[in-house]
Amino acid sequence: MKISEFIETTRISFEALSSNKMRSFLTTLGVVIGIFFVVLMGWAINGLDSTLDKTFNAIGTDMLYVDKWNWSGGRNWRKIEARKDITYAQALEFCKRIKSAEVVMPQGRAWGRQVQFKNQLLNGITIMGVPYKYALTPSGNVTEGRFFSQFEDMNSADVAVIGYNVAKNLFPDSNSLGQTLKIGGRSFTIIGVVEKRGTFITDFMDNQCYIPLSSFFGIFGSTGRSISIAVKAGSEAQLDEVRSEAIGIMRGVRNTPPGEEDDFAINESQAFREESKTMRIAVYGIGLGLTALSFIVGMIGIMNIMFVTVTERTKEIGIRKALGATRASILVQFLTEAAALCFTGAVIAFIICSGVIYATVQIFELTFPPYIPPGLLLIATFVSILVGIIAGLIPAVRASRMNTVDALRYE
Amino acid sequence: MNTPIINIEHIARVYDMGGEKVHALRDVSLNIYPNEYIAIMGPSGSGKSTLMNILGCLDTPSSGIYNFKGLDVKQMDDNDLAEIRNREIGFVFQTFNLLPRATALKNVELPLVYSGISRSTRREMAITTLTEVGLGDRMLHKPNELSGGQRQRVAVARALVTKPSIILADEPTGNLDTKTGIEIMHLFQELWKRGNTIILVTHEEDIARHAHRIVRIRDGEVESDTTNSNPVYA
Repeated sequence: MKISEFIETTRISFEALSSNKMRSFLTTLGVVIGIFFVVLMGWAINGLDSTLDKTFNAIGTDMLYVDKWNWSGGRNWRKIEARKDITYAQALEFCKRIKSAEVVMPQGRAWGRQVQFKNQLLNGITIMGVPYKYALTPSGNVTEGRFFSQFEDMNSADVAVIGYNVAKNLFPDSNSLGQTLKIGGRSFTIIGVVEKRGTFITDFMDNQCYIPLSSFFGIFGSTGRSISIAVKAGSEAQLDEVRSEAIGIMRGVRNTPPGEEDDFAINESQAFREESKTMRIAVYGIGLGLTALSFIVGMIGIMNIMFVTVTERTKEIGIRKALGATRASILVQFLTEAAALCFTGAVIAFIICSGVIYATVQIFELTFPPYIPPGLLLIATFVSILVGIIAGLIPAVRASRMNTVDALRYE
Repeated sequence: MNTPIINIEHIARVYDMGGEKVHALRDVSLNIYPNEYIAIMGPSGSGKSTLMNILGCLDTPSSGIYNFKGLDVKQMDDNDLAEIRNREIGFVFQTFNLLPRATALKNVELPLVYSGISRSTRREMAITTLTEVGLGDRMLHKPNELSGGQRQRVAVARALVTKPSIILADEPTGNLDTKTGIEIMHLFQELWKRGNTIILVTHEEDIARHAHRIVRIRDGEVESDTTNSNPVYA
């Protein structure tokens, strides 16, 4: 088969489709739905991955958090709850003993608090009591103002650094720096705003306020709560070394008897990776199921309509063969037509998908890219053409094997 | 005389119709030479359609010898036959057999598509041929916008465009009124004068009388093969 013939065949295919627009559209609907799901699923996973990467970076890929609570579930909840709190004294002892870490500091956390600016109340805010060294961790990057100094830290100064969402909600249009924020009944001067860190799974990260640890204890008290310890390893390569030292020291500090399980957790950003695995599997499972289903339905529809087309055009096939079309030419003609049908379906799906994706990103303010990833576009196009070829194969073979004399006589 | 384009010897064609053997052609031998104008005649059921299909390489004989320009057609596979049809034979059918959705120009281009000729050359050749048959001004019309005579002219142009060795016309005037039929016969005459070889398959004496040689088929055999010393000029 010559290239000029193939180009002509492709043109003929699209002409044949457009001469039967409604039928072509209805036939390709299954493929439209199939490709729609493929693209949407791919986009979701893609977005999930990039979001996770952002999350890891926000938490810090070289950070360990020694805590009473495990970040990721799957463990015996009661057992964890029964763990003794990590006291401030234990945390200080830990900080003193650990050698391999670059930065280490205790931090207090009060969940679900309320902050107030003038008459405006903001609920569900996590108040973090942290030392000035917190500025050295990825979580302490301020975009406006500054983090508090060692001096302010030591003097329990009433200064606060606020999270992105807090700033956005309380000061949508105005500058928050220098304003007075009420935390736990005490007035704090806002001196900095932390950069946006949260993604749709870690939105809580932006609903935080940071105050000096001593001020924190002043409001919320230092007993009756579990202190967590932030440990910066310095690099990912050092994580293993730092982790094992941390475990050893913590067991020592807490007098954990040998042979017994750790009664504390070492949390790291990898925990989110575990969590994301389940999400990925869920997205893949649902996506693949729906995709396979709609492709099967779509294929049956296309195969059916191709049989109809071949029968309808028996005479045309006879004419073409009489004029010198080979079996291969006829085969390719109908395969191209089926592929063109599916490709058209894919293009329709791309258009719908682009709209849906853009709207989703806008409405839910996702950090996902608001377009179809180009690689995905390529794969989906390829898949759609493949589906067409598979679905069109049997009808096309039937067309190519038609007896020329009989086909010419067909009315 | 020079070597024949078509040489068939003792060919037979047997159809298997549900276990029953039907002898459409029993024993036909025929030589057709370049620039002949020959009519194959016979009543329906005589086997002339079968003979035409075999001559046109649409079908192959069950037995016997068929040489087309010295090539053994019986040895050819599907692709070889397609190529012979494409390059050597121009068909003109009773029912025109044009593609209804394509313009006259596209219809005439069609055989050239299968010859692998580039688009621009295709177009040029089709325009030239359509102009030759007097349809230079109707090229962009679809078959349903053309009269019967015009449609048949498109079909003739399509048969001519590949410059084939023979033109095989099957009842070319069967669907036309007398006046239009005469016009088409005139066209064939012109083509013959220009050196084309024409095989006319018909059951009408009036039409056959245009040819210079008349072969009559009856019951699958050649009944007579005569020279028409007094052909009608359309």
